[in-house]
Amino acid sequence: MTAEVWTVTFRVFRRKGAEAPHYDFFRLEVSPDEYVLDAIERIWAFHDRSLVYRYACHHATCGACGMRVNSVEKLTCITTIRSVARDGGEVTVEPLRNFPVISDLTVDMGDLYRSMEAVHYPAVSPVAAAPLPTIPAKDGISPGGPLREEPDAHRLNDCIECGLCVSACPIATTTAGYLGPAVLAAIQFQGISGKPALAGLADCEDGVWRCHSAYECTAVCPSLVDPGWRIMDLRKQAIGRRFRRLFGRGETA
Amino acid sequence: MSVQTRSPSRAAQWLNFPHRGVGMWAFAMNRLSALGLAVYLFLHLFLLRQLAEGPSAFDRFISLVRSPLFTLSEWVVVVGGLYHGLNGVRVILTSLGVAVPYQRQMFWILFGIAALGSLAFAIRMFTA
Amino acid sequence: MSKPHAILIGAGFTGCATAYDLALRGFDVTVLERGDLAAGTSGRTHGLLHSGARYCVTDQESAVECIDESRILARIAAQCIEFNGGLFIALDDSDLAFVDRFVEGAQTCHIPIEQISPRKALEMEPAINPGVLDAYWVPDGTFDPLRLALAFAASAKASGAVFKLYCQVEAMLADGQGNLNGVRYWDRTTGQHHELRGDIVVSATGAWAGELAELAGAHVPVRPTPGVMVAFASRFVERAINRLNKPGDGDIVLPQRRMVVVGTTSFEAEDVDYIPVSEEQVAEMVKRGADLIPALATAPQRGAYMASRPLVGSGTQARSIARTFKCFDHKESDGIDGFVTITGGKATTCRAMAEATADMVCRKLGVSAACQTRERPLRSYREFYRAGEGARA
Repeated sequence: MTAEVWTVTFRVFRRKGAEAPHYDFFRLEVSPDEYVLDAIERIWAFHDRSLVYRYACHHATCGACGMRVNSVEKLTCITTIRSVARDGGEVTVEPLRNFPVISDLTVDMGDLYRSMEAVHYPAVSPVAAAPLPTIPAKDGISPGGPLREEPDAHRLNDCIECGLCVSACPIATTTAGYLGPAVLAAIQFQGISGKPALAGLADCEDGVWRCHSAYECTAVCPSLVDPGWRIMDLRKQAIGRRFRRLFGRGETA
Repeated sequence: MSVQTRSPSRAAQWLNFPHRGVGMWAFAMNRLSALGLAVYLFLHLFLLRQLAEGPSAFDRFISLVRSPLFTLSEWVVVVGGLYHGLNGVRVILTSLGVAVPYQRQMFWILFGIAALGSLAFAIRMFTA
Repeated sequence: MSKPHAILIGAGFTGCATAYDLALRGFDVTVLERGDLAAGTSGRTHGLLHSGARYCVTDQESAVECIDESRILARIAAQCIEFNGGLFIALDDSDLAFVDRFVEGAQTCHIPIEQISPRKALEMEPAINPGVLDAYWVPDGTFDPLRLALAFAASAKASGAVFKLYCQVEAMLADGQGNLNGVRYWDRTTGQHHELRGDIVVSATGAWAGELAELAGAHVPVRPTPGVMVAFASRFVERAINRLNKPGDGDIVLPQRRMVVVGTTSFEAEDVDYIPVSEEQVAEMVKRGADLIPALATAPQRGAYMASRPLVGSGTQARSIARTFKCFDHKESDGIDGFVTITGGKATTCRAMAEATADMVCRKLGVSAACQTRERPLRSYREFYRAGEGARA
């Protein structure tokens, strides 16, 4: 078997310190079945040691390597070159939107992490607490989750805090105060019943009501969190809560 | 090789939907049709006001509204109204948590109804 | 007297844990990392929280370290660990012949194991090879690699440590006597070069420890030994599934979120900065993984990657080199004072590596302070990112 070799030009967003941003071009011989991150690592290793980019696990469990590939948010560690380029073509790699750029392809994820902390999103939950009510399989990842569930088994939660949904959201682009899909999904995951603080965050101008139903969060989510569905479900919860309060029934624990 | 760049303005980024999914197209078209309908409302009031300016203004108004260009514009308003209204139904339903996983299919169905409606109006308006 | 200043190079598990330990012992700590947190071997581990059972026959020193440390980590880092246990499964005669030594080794190392009937094992994990002949439950777990490093780093920061990410050490600075008292580094986010002085330089650079030591004219016998791992897009099992035999290629399958990861191979590499993932090795992993979980043969993949273990030592086969860690005081090995290297070990033992390193640093600088990292839970990993700090997180 001879390995297939493509020549692909990577157009890479660059910025150092206070300098104006620019794009650098790197022509690489790649295998189409390699991942975009592999190519970026080679650019760093063999072409330009000043290239700054963030990554860790290489298998979509850490959420560090989110970037925009041809204007669409991807986890570069699981995005094959075949899926975004053709032989002799060009691929544009840029940092995520709606986050401050630290340098080149690395953005400051601090706001997202702090917001996720503020809503107490747990990194680990009982297996049974990870229902996936709606979405079909995507990119081959299993929607069914574990084949066997038992009450005391725990698992790392789906949301990997990669920020792809925040970058893809057209509302986050124009409204800095918007809580954003990841954080709203984290609130929905826990439910707002009996949690006035979470309910207050979700049921306000910059909470669920700011969403304009573009569903880009769900389209780019690499981890089957389905923030779009969760935001809509949270709206339902918020309306229910308002009705209950209207009829004099306050928070129920 | 290196090329200088400037970021597009924030609102312009709403329009990068060619790379995006159905939801983003629906969102961007909803915004565009809303802007169009808002502009139309002002034009509408502005033109109607002419009716109050005496018989000659009334006659000019009538000849304007009989021009094919005006009919076409009216049809565009109908298309915009149909799309915006029907997509609005989809947004309301999903906002109540109804059929969210099927928002894509719902878009295509409502888009289809809007397209058929637009076609019906076109036949009615341009063949009369 | 002002606080002693330790310059730590490398923000993997060991670097972050050492920063935490030294900061708790009253040091001013600055961590320099050329990439982001856990950007080297740490981020790419398969994430097995070792009970030690894997090494209880071939490397009992590591096995004991693992069982002790996995218990501590389960206590202090529960925020990013799935502690669901693991199964060792025997699939052929060679495996069955290994069972006695396995049981004996586990007893020697005080690793609690429990024999499970093949039927029960299949009930617990329906996806494993139905031809399972014997099975043992062990207290394995899995952790989220990035978040474990972040939790140690967040705790270090809460005690005053400073992390400078994307800052690559270019040169060691020495006083007149050839002893280290600082480093020169390149801030890759700005392109600028800086000097930093300290009382001691600690290299926690794992597989890169040899390269780093060369900058100081010192020597560390570390053998970068990469292995390939393949992730699959279904969570077939809830527990770590191990082949009940001597550690070999592709004999572990680990659950992680909605995935499983199969690992790993073992070979030697010259250039650790970029190690290509070979298709043959990926194919081999799929084949071996499918021995444990038949469905892997046809399951869609979700990433294939390489991580470079830092094995300490020389000679013989990489598989048989001890997985334990080693602290080098370069005054003893190379006549260079002010410089310590920690390498080897496993993710599971990172806290113990940090403790040993901090002990050595304290001894060298005449500081008497006890280790405080065993009991108190780590800070939330998200606290690593503080408001208004940006890259200087």
